[in-house]
Amino acid sequence: MSEAAAPAAAAPRAASGGGGASRGLPGGRWLGVLPFFLFVTLFLILPTLYIVVGAFRTTGGGWTLQNVLDLNTRSIRNAYWVSVQVSFWSALLGCLIGFAMSAAVVLWGLPRWLKQPLLTFSGVASNFAGVPLAFAFIATVGPAGLITLWLRSDLGVILQAGLWNVPEGLQWLLPGQVRFPRFTILSTWGLILTYLFFQIPLMVLIITPAIEGLRREWREAAEVLGASAWQYWRMVALPILTPSLLGCMALLFANAFGAVATAIALTGPALNIAPILLYAQIRGDVLGNPNLGYALALGMIVITAAANALYVWLRARSERWLK
Amino acid sequence: MRAFAWGAFVLGALYFVLPLWGMTEFSLSMRRGEYSFDAYRSVLAMPDFQATFAFSAFMALVTIVVGVLIVVPTAFWVRLKVPELRPVIEFITLLPLVIPAIVIVFGYIRLYNTGSWLPLTGTAMGTNLLLAMGYTVLALPYMYRAVDTGLRTIDVGTLTEAAQSLGAGWATILGRVILPNVLSAVLSGAFLTFAIVIGEFTMAALLDRPAFGPFMQRLGQDRAYEPSALAVIAFAITWGCMGLIGLVSRTQKHTRAAR
Amino acid sequence: MTAKTWLAGTASAAVLMQATLAFAQQTPAPGPLRTEDMAALQAAAEAEGMLTTIALPRDWCNYEGVFQTFQAKYPGITINELNPNASSAEELEAIRANRGNTGPQAPDVIDVGLAFGPQAQEEGLIQPYMVQTWDSIPESARDAEGYWYGDYYGVMSFAVNTDLVAEVPQSFADLLDPQYAGQVALAGDPRASNQAILAVMAAGLATGAEPGQAAGEAGLEFFRQLNEAGNFVPVIGGSGTLAQGTTPILIQWDYNALTTRDTLAGNPPVEVVIPEDVSLAGMYVQAISAYAPQPNAARLWMEHIYSDEGQLEWLKGYCRPIRFDDMVARGVVPQDLLDRLPPAREGATVVFPSLDAVNANRDAVVGGWDAVVGADVVE
Repeated sequence: MSEAAAPAAAAPRAASGGGGASRGLPGGRWLGVLPFFLFVTLFLILPTLYIVVGAFRTTGGGWTLQNVLDLNTRSIRNAYWVSVQVSFWSALLGCLIGFAMSAAVVLWGLPRWLKQPLLTFSGVASNFAGVPLAFAFIATVGPAGLITLWLRSDLGVILQAGLWNVPEGLQWLLPGQVRFPRFTILSTWGLILTYLFFQIPLMVLIITPAIEGLRREWREAAEVLGASAWQYWRMVALPILTPSLLGCMALLFANAFGAVATAIALTGPALNIAPILLYAQIRGDVLGNPNLGYALALGMIVITAAANALYVWLRARSERWLK
Repeated sequence: MRAFAWGAFVLGALYFVLPLWGMTEFSLSMRRGEYSFDAYRSVLAMPDFQATFAFSAFMALVTIVVGVLIVVPTAFWVRLKVPELRPVIEFITLLPLVIPAIVIVFGYIRLYNTGSWLPLTGTAMGTNLLLAMGYTVLALPYMYRAVDTGLRTIDVGTLTEAAQSLGAGWATILGRVILPNVLSAVLSGAFLTFAIVIGEFTMAALLDRPAFGPFMQRLGQDRAYEPSALAVIAFAITWGCMGLIGLVSRTQKHTRAAR
Repeated sequence: MTAKTWLAGTASAAVLMQATLAFAQQTPAPGPLRTEDMAALQAAAEAEGMLTTIALPRDWCNYEGVFQTFQAKYPGITINELNPNASSAEELEAIRANRGNTGPQAPDVIDVGLAFGPQAQEEGLIQPYMVQTWDSIPESARDAEGYWYGDYYGVMSFAVNTDLVAEVPQSFADLLDPQYAGQVALAGDPRASNQAILAVMAAGLATGAEPGQAAGEAGLEFFRQLNEAGNFVPVIGGSGTLAQGTTPILIQWDYNALTTRDTLAGNPPVEVVIPEDVSLAGMYVQAISAYAPQPNAARLWMEHIYSDEGQLEWLKGYCRPIRFDDMVARGVVPQDLLDRLPPAREGATVVFPSLDAVNANRDAVVGGWDAVVGADVVE
């Protein structure tokens, strides 16, 4: 009888979930998460706050806004602007193309067996960032890359100069030389092209479960009510997918903005984008002002935090659709 | 619609395959005029390659252990005892995705130098420890999410209660009851961590540790064909890790079905 | 609520730490200026057991050979190599960042461009030392008090990947030709690397300016034109990028270009050209860090590289060691090494800029590069 009573007494205690001290230790509930908080404080929060605070201090120890104001030089502004552009476009294109690839397999009638290889490959490619990725792209579309040389020798297209020497057979259609925008891997668009290699798969990985969550019944119900495919997408599917899409875009933006390794491997520490500038500043004080490094880092945090805050706000707004 | 879908898919596939083909082709071109594995032989024979790869692999293992030791008990405790802390902790685990790694390591360099209260950069061991902590921070979002998802599928409360009523202490509960049940999730997180740490560049370069990432970047400056061979090897390793994750999650389904 | 107090606590801790961290370290007293007893120095160095170097790529001036001969003579001393591709500015920053740090991050010895020696001396980053062979180092190549001393020199040249470049440029003026679109690069960051800074000066001298600030400014103007013509590639070049095609025309020291040519061994073929319009000689200097954790090992290292054996290792890497004239006069230089050196261009005078000239040039280039040339990422 006492055995029956004990489990009965234990059940309500466990059922009350988190309430009450565990095993009589005062404040014992918090003990379990103490290691986590200690670790995170020492190795994530404190270093970041140190940098943030340091951006507003002078070498003497006083408070100042000068470091932040000193950011306003042409090359630093350019560095940030290029980074923002590269991050924005690689996030947007990654979003659209990733969505298209995922939807192609899940929704638009491609064979089912393509899905697993697509997801596996996306898992690999999204982690294949950094130095090896840069090598791969230099070997392919760099100045002496496979595609570049093939285009030049077989098709008469010179990417770096933006010229197409139209071959004999097509001269009647397009006489002379055709000009197009120059392309080199060391440009904004070259960087975007390279970054897409890990942005698109990341998108595919995150959006596929969301697309799969779109139930067929909703599509059928919409059709029964007379909606066209376009109306279904506009009023049912997209609003449901929007939180995931926006969340992914913000993630991709932050991902690209902080990417140092790929860019450095492509160009070395002289390219004028924000993370490389910070890297060169930490390494060699190339800007001649040690406190400027703090301000640069602060600027980077502000931009990525703003992108994520925007995502949170947009997601809260779009989640209203789900209610 | 179908044609469009096929078109999008094929174009996408082409975009991914071409660079991989480009780097493979370049890596085989070390000998003038013919394909050969010279670049691979050269790379694999480099003592720096072996040393830095071993260093990074060891670091990855340390990171995985530290990560598991921090994440599993925390996720478990939060689920069991302090569910109101979940939003806070989830927010914290997403911070490494917002704060760039270069900023974090910049903070380490300034905060933990020899003039400070915790002079980690004063010794090689201390700096290695700092690097491992940095890697753990980088892997935190993925580790936490994997373990949290894994915990969601098991009934933590009942399992704990049952173990406690049999007289188990917290260590036993975590080690012999919870961990085996979330093993596939933990292993997924572990392989992902391995892939991240092996190729990581920023933290290792700024902390001046002999890791694989900075080695690859240096080689890119100094050699022509070996970097492509390295890129192929790195891709193969990443593929291996992801394959192992897939394998592990597939086997887990079988054991769960037995329940 | 508890989360908020935790966050507040952490923030205050960060502020407090910022306020109390004292970076001002006392400069330690320098060691003895000369070594009387080599055996005692060797014993002291081996007791320290380690030497930390920085910015010494193994294929720069055959540092590979220098390391190997040092290790062979003193097997008890491990060589800890930091960041082989660091620039001169990064070397000074490494000393600054590690003041008071006795760990393996702090360099013992530095090898920097001439203009960076006096700068390091002014900031109190280096300590004086005079090697046994001090007297055979030309006076113009050393600091009178022994803080820094020249080690080797070479001449600025072009390394050209002849697989990708049909017509090899012969002068700086040639580089502006449109056929070299997207092909010309420096071998370092012109805000930090001595090699790149002097490359800018060479370009300035080629236009006829006087060494010093004038050459710096003229060089910046040249690179601005090069950038606007689309010929300049804002990538730090190396033998890897030369071969891969990113930087088929690389402006670097002749010893580096020749070593690149040898390493690539014809795949692709590389031609080394000393430009017609200027032959600029650049010298590097050695110094011991004032905060060296292993000062005795540092001094032993200096003795080694200024010995005949060490200097000849540099010669094997196509660098002219600073005691070259003295060694040739005494007949200790093997003939085959002499034959390997590239011949000077006929009729060209090699310009050895003075210390003031390189200082003025450095200030002009480092300060003006971003503003004048501003080689940003193109659209």
